[in-house]
Amino acid sequence: MTIHNIYIFNKNGNLLYYHEWNRIKQTGMTRDEEAKLMYGMLFSIKSFVNKISPTDPKEGFLYYKTSKYTLHYFETLTGLKFVLTTDNNAQLVRELLQQIYNQVYVEYVVKNPLISLSEPIESEIFKIKLDALIRQSSIFISKAA
Amino acid sequence: MSEETIFELLHSAVVDYVVEDNTKVSEKTNKTDAKDEDLSKLEYIGFFAGYRMIERLTREMPRFKDELDTMKFICTDLWSAIYKKQIDNLRTNHLGVYVLQDNAFRFLTKLSNGKQYLDLAPRYVTFTCGVLRGCLANLGIESIVTAEIQTMPSCKFHIQVQRPC
Repeated sequence: MTIHNIYIFNKNGNLLYYHEWNRIKQTGMTRDEEAKLMYGMLFSIKSFVNKISPTDPKEGFLYYKTSKYTLHYFETLTGLKFVLTTDNNAQLVRELLQQIYNQVYVEYVVKNPLISLSEPIESEIFKIKLDALIRQSSIFISKAA
Repeated sequence: MSEETIFELLHSAVVDYVVEDNTKVSEKTNKTDAKDEDLSKLEYIGFFAGYRMIERLTREMPRFKDELDTMKFICTDLWSAIYKKQIDNLRTNHLGVYVLQDNAFRFLTKLSNGKQYLDLAPRYVTFTCGVLRGCLANLGIESIVTAEIQTMPSCKFHIQVQRPC
């Protein structure tokens, strides 16, 4: 099992943070373009899922899966979006996303008065804590190991 | 998430308010030498908070034997009351200089764990310097309190007792 990369978007669709661990194929475009494309797709899927759902969609869009990877989507009530891509065997990714939000984002971004909530995150301690949480998770087993 | 968070958020809002107020003043007076920020207002707020707080904390305490005893009280009881932990290290030269070291100071733990943002760190310890000075003042000890930060989140508070000579 492995974790490929993470995107964090704010409610206006700006990319706050991006990091990759085991990403083998790159898109070839700039990070900004890639993030816009990603956000646009997520936005479309979200509204598509909500419109087409034959019953009341409680949580809406949760994840999609291709033959090679799975993209997990977690949106908070405040409109913050966490996107994590993993391989297809990953379990309990929702819990991990919830932890990233509670234990890393809230603690080291929201409670850090020096970080503006609408700009990309530059804080070193945030990066370190996020990396540590991902690496200790059972989903993360690096290719090299 | 609770009373501690609201205290942390209020504190950072107060810091922001004072700093913003300062920049407005320096724009008006065209002072551009903003190397050392004027944080005396923050210190003053802390002083009064500490001055009043100590009154409540000590109401059931026996008398302190001496100055060192007072400092020990500050390191244990006062620090646990405000920051839910004790000071990690207390040192003194027995000539009126005390160094209180906190290895994980509450207002700095979320900021950084190294040198990042070090230039802005003084803003977040000034209030506490005032609290210490206010507490000591109400206990009858005149002092000057300064803070020293080398790597966050650790912070040293230097207390220099002013002796009448």
